[in-house]
Amino acid sequence: MNAVKVDAAIVGIGCSAFGRGLPDSQLALAAVAFKDALADAGLKREDVDGISIHLGAPLGVDYDRFAEAFDLDIRYVNQSWLHGRFVTNSLQHAALAVSAGLADVVACVTAVSFTRERGFLGGPGDVEGNREEGGTHGEAPPYGLTAPAGGAAISMQRYMHLYGATSAQLAAVPMSIRAHALNNSRAIMQQPLTLEAHQNARMVVDPLRLFDCCLISDGAAIVLVTRGERARDLKQKPVRISAMQGTRSGREEFIFAPRGLGINQQSGKRSFARARDLEIFTQGIARDDVQGFYTYDAFSPLVLFALERFGYCGVGEAAAFVQDGRIAPGGALPVNTSGGLLSEAHVAGWNSICEMTRQLRGTAGASQIKDARALQWGTAWGDSVILTRDR
Amino acid sequence: MSIHEKPRPRIGPDSAPFWKGCREHKLMLPTCSACGKAHMPPGPVCPFCLADAIEWRQASGRGTISTWTAVHKAWFPAFAAEAPYNVIQVELDEGPRLTSNLVGSEKPAIGQRVEVVFDDVDAELTMHRFRAL
Repeated sequence: MNAVKVDAAIVGIGCSAFGRGLPDSQLALAAVAFKDALADAGLKREDVDGISIHLGAPLGVDYDRFAEAFDLDIRYVNQSWLHGRFVTNSLQHAALAVSAGLADVVACVTAVSFTRERGFLGGPGDVEGNREEGGTHGEAPPYGLTAPAGGAAISMQRYMHLYGATSAQLAAVPMSIRAHALNNSRAIMQQPLTLEAHQNARMVVDPLRLFDCCLISDGAAIVLVTRGERARDLKQKPVRISAMQGTRSGREEFIFAPRGLGINQQSGKRSFARARDLEIFTQGIARDDVQGFYTYDAFSPLVLFALERFGYCGVGEAAAFVQDGRIAPGGALPVNTSGGLLSEAHVAGWNSICEMTRQLRGTAGASQIKDARALQWGTAWGDSVILTRDR
Repeated sequence: MSIHEKPRPRIGPDSAPFWKGCREHKLMLPTCSACGKAHMPPGPVCPFCLADAIEWRQASGRGTISTWTAVHKAWFPAFAAEAPYNVIQVELDEGPRLTSNLVGSEKPAIGQRVEVVFDDVDAELTMHRFRAL
């Protein structure tokens, strides 16, 4: 396996306030986060010559409006299609662009208003879900499976059938992530989540109950990426993008299920995480060196599926693996230490990328993982980056 | 589309024969005459051997529920009156899976054998659904 030739580091992070029903435009949220990120990095806006946009209009801000509104002079742009699945991809594009010299500093921009654009998420405005062959998350709107949550639900239903996992076991995911959020004053959710509250909450799409589904919220997060050498001259201790692997796709893959689970056209033949899914651990940082795991927790089953995908436990074992505080604060493998999408805010995962950066700088406050040196971001659909503290 | 209407399938050149089959109360599957395998969703060539030799063959209409859910939240206002309602995936005896609904009073269960029924929604659209066997 060839090592990925990437020379990139995160040098600045910035966030707006996170909330539900914020009155600000997405661009107004982006302005706050952008100024915050520039100040954090000690860079001027003239230094930013690349933009990587995860979610554009109508949910977020398009690259051209970002450049125009803040009078930037941009020479590299990446913008992905909507929905959250391109979070890793848009960070990776930034890393590749600076490594290849296409830009010096790329701003990864995510500024979203999920509350004002509610119809986009599984409602009549969801053009992706209404694709002819069905949506990427298994949406079949004519049959009433209209939202991404439905894809997570049909996967978890089959997972429970195959492995005997229960809703009460699944509850450990949102409960643990909520416990992390309680250490973070930016997090929207500030009350502990009990098993009883999880089990008594309304069913949304069986077996997903209310707290298995992430927040519908508003906010902006911006991450500035540059080359490693330049990063060392800037204000903050650089956080290196040390390893990367891309999105997996094919008939054996369904975005919200482990490979081969038997959803959509998957074969139903599962296997332990394969070498091809573990490329991420062959680039200098082994799985055993990872001190915290960060993932796109739009729905709590996605955390289980990501843990199995990267081999933190065996096939069908994730529901047991997450019990007894293992992924909670102080656990052996803390997951989403700022509260993730489930309890901090749905900034499409970028809140977690910012949190990983704080962790590796040693500035994560009450959430701090002791002596954090290597953290993994990895999604249920198989893409990943490992971030490390610069030597 | 009014938000008060249920979404309709988007029908393009590759999937048109499937929906035409439903109109005629036949479950038709694109099947490769080179390797013999049926596939879904309909594609321009056989996804397994890339042969162009796609034939539309009538399927048995029988299969097994491979997963299901009950949708309690109405993302579309048009579904609100029916919530909670079920959505199933059926593994057809020919191999491919379809997303559909289970009609009748039985709660879906993985492993349940089912058979297709056709629902004439209006003059232009017929949708497949399934009933327990």
